[in-house]
Amino acid sequence: MASKARPGAGAWEGLALGLLLWRVQLQMFINQTIRSRQPGRIAGTIAGAAVILLAWSWEGFITWLGVQASHRVPVRVDTVHLLSLAFLAYTGVLVFSSLVFSLNALLLNPDLEMLLAAPRSVESVLASRMAVQVLRLFVLSLLFTGPALVLLAIVNQNPLIPLAFAMLFFLYPIFVVVIISLMSLLLVRIIPVGRGREVLTVFGIALAIGINLANFLLNPALRDPGFARHPGAALSLPDVPAASSSWLPSGWAGRSAAAVLSGDWPTAAQWLLLLLAASAAVFAAGSVLSGRLYMTGWIQAVPPRRRHAAPRVRRLKGKVPLLSPVLAAVVIKDWRMRTRDLAQLVRFLMPVVFLFVIFGLRFPRLLGAVRSLGDGPPAAMIGLIPAWILLFSLSISLGLSAVSLEGKSIWVYAASPNSTLRFLQAKCWSTALPVAALVALAALAAEIMIRPGWLWAVTAVALAIAEAAAVTTLMVGIGAVFARFDWTDARRMMHPVGIFIGMGLFSIVSGISALLLVISIALAAVTRFPLFTTWLAAMTISVGGAVAVAALSLLFGNQRLRGLEVG
Amino acid sequence: MLSTRLLTKRYGSLTAVEDLDLEVGAGELFGFLGPNGAGKTTTIKMLVGLLRPSSGSARVAGIDITSEPEKAKALIGYVPDAATLYDKLSAQEFLEFSGDLYHVERRLRDRRIAALLKLFDLQERGDDFLSSYSRGMRQKISLAAALLHDPQVLFLDEPTVGLDPQSARQMKDILQDFCREGKTVFFSTHILEIAERMCTRLAIINHGRLVAMGSLQDLRQMVGQDGQSLEQIFLELTGSREDDVSAVLRGLEG
Repeated sequence: MASKARPGAGAWEGLALGLLLWRVQLQMFINQTIRSRQPGRIAGTIAGAAVILLAWSWEGFITWLGVQASHRVPVRVDTVHLLSLAFLAYTGVLVFSSLVFSLNALLLNPDLEMLLAAPRSVESVLASRMAVQVLRLFVLSLLFTGPALVLLAIVNQNPLIPLAFAMLFFLYPIFVVVIISLMSLLLVRIIPVGRGREVLTVFGIALAIGINLANFLLNPALRDPGFARHPGAALSLPDVPAASSSWLPSGWAGRSAAAVLSGDWPTAAQWLLLLLAASAAVFAAGSVLSGRLYMTGWIQAVPPRRRHAAPRVRRLKGKVPLLSPVLAAVVIKDWRMRTRDLAQLVRFLMPVVFLFVIFGLRFPRLLGAVRSLGDGPPAAMIGLIPAWILLFSLSISLGLSAVSLEGKSIWVYAASPNSTLRFLQAKCWSTALPVAALVALAALAAEIMIRPGWLWAVTAVALAIAEAAAVTTLMVGIGAVFARFDWTDARRMMHPVGIFIGMGLFSIVSGISALLLVISIALAAVTRFPLFTTWLAAMTISVGGAVAVAALSLLFGNQRLRGLEVG
Repeated sequence: MLSTRLLTKRYGSLTAVEDLDLEVGAGELFGFLGPNGAGKTTTIKMLVGLLRPSSGSARVAGIDITSEPEKAKALIGYVPDAATLYDKLSAQEFLEFSGDLYHVERRLRDRRIAALLKLFDLQERGDDFLSSYSRGMRQKISLAAALLHDPQVLFLDEPTVGLDPQSARQMKDILQDFCREGKTVFFSTHILEIAERMCTRLAIINHGRLVAMGSLQDLRQMVGQDGQSLEQIFLELTGSREDDVSAVLRGLEG
């Protein structure tokens, strides 16, 4: 299948094919949005456009504020180094998105086979994927920075600023996209077919940890707690001298961008031309190499290893104490699905990791401050904050996706002689049990360390468990109303509107609970009622309210599922 | 055992199935034929309670599937076209899950699972995740799940697609044995040869409307020519396009 065409022909053909693919993607986007003839989708598109316009206005306003501030308080900053750093940081984003795109294209998207079966050279097909990725990144970077660039052009009275930056945004990703695409072609050789999504999830986790680590290591604000309190100090930039090296593309792009902003056009053009020449050479070389690597990589990708159910898990023969066989069957099935799919498992683990990042690293200082409050409900309530963050994350990610977890296999339950309400009950059990257990653990650990008095600690943990069960049930109900059965990908199972409503209701329930508990303390102080009585009353009202809202959401969810047609 | 009365399904202005009247008795192996997009899958999905009829009714063993779905579903086994199963479950676990959904007593369930895995020659792969199964193997597991609760009526949508010749033969034997026990099989297929050899009665649907129903002999009489194959009858009743095809192919050559 390797092409015998002259070197470089693959790159040109790839560019043409890339533009063709780009046009098709644009057509698909238009067909699925404004030409869909579905009022919901059209309204969603209009709402999305309105949100983008709003975000652009906000970005323009913030840029204008920044420009005004810089006129009043001059900041000493090395523009070349700052912009080079920005491009270097952008490289991280490019690496990850290119990796995801390339591996997706090679392992998950079915259209690559169709393209390779067409009478096109392998080089041109692979080059076209790179071209599409570059175009996509180019449009995204313009989408994010467009308003700021336009405003800078107006303020500096230089209409060429957006154009010059657009050229930089177009050329800069080429290096990364080509290198990562070539790497991916080799990498897929060791990734078993069918495990692509899990590999991508691992990359995602690695990136999240990497960003946090880099932030801790490089961010001066985190290394020096008094950093923000030195007025007039020169703006300290992360210590990455390589970023502005004249040997690296980030240095070329940074120099060109800085020159554009200062109106030094010859210098800007000089570095831009260097970037253009190098990018063109890398793209041409990458297209030629891609054909060779394809032969040693993707085409020889390893077949999937047979996966077995572990004997230990197999002993779960469908029994859960106190639950009927149908409920137990769904609970156990969900548990297996969540724990065997890496993307799902991450939904359990990531909140715990981030909780550790947020609280664990600052723990000694925080603990001292909370303990200084002494015994009583305020300290016990503050101790619930980590558990609440955990509850927020888990209830949203697991609760909202509980019903959609069935995916296209929903027919199995729908064809069985069981009601939709029983299905929802099972989903509540399968989600609320692990969420309440983890939240209880987090609350218990915090209360043990804070030691607010055993009575307050016990009631705080009980509150956390009850609220966890109620809030998770609430999310299951919302998830049923906005269920999506077309996706098996954990990230796409949840409907954006469902997430929005879920987050809103979580905030309202949490806010009212906190308010009630504060009122109970104030009430005890004013009326001289025993504090425990008012505290207990507030807890009861808070949990009762949450349970009522949850029951209502289940009713709506059941209504939606009863009307569901598995077509 | 199975009857429909003026069964209709509309999607907006599109009528997928219109005024369908069917009667299928106990012990019958009933073939449901029709060209692509004729409304076969829509009909089956209405009969198993996955789609709600726009009008009309469907009864399984005298129970209305719309008003008493849970009662009717307990009597039904269903094998969809290209069944999507839970990839992260093993075949054994999936069948256990299915048995529990249909309230099969646990010891009986385990005994039947072992027998069905053996019947389909999958006992060696019972602990493998379904994600590693081929389409034909998934089809077998779907049929095993449909048989697990010993249903009275079995609905199958294109059951032989993806099966190798031995497995297709095995499936035919299973369905015939099932009917010999006085139970009913209702299946759709594109493979007319299978329908011709297996079915006691047939129905042909086109553009959502029933165009013929009866035994093969009845259908031959309907088109007025004895000795015709089911394929010829089918093409005649659904509108043959052989001439059009030849004309288009000749056009492509030019």
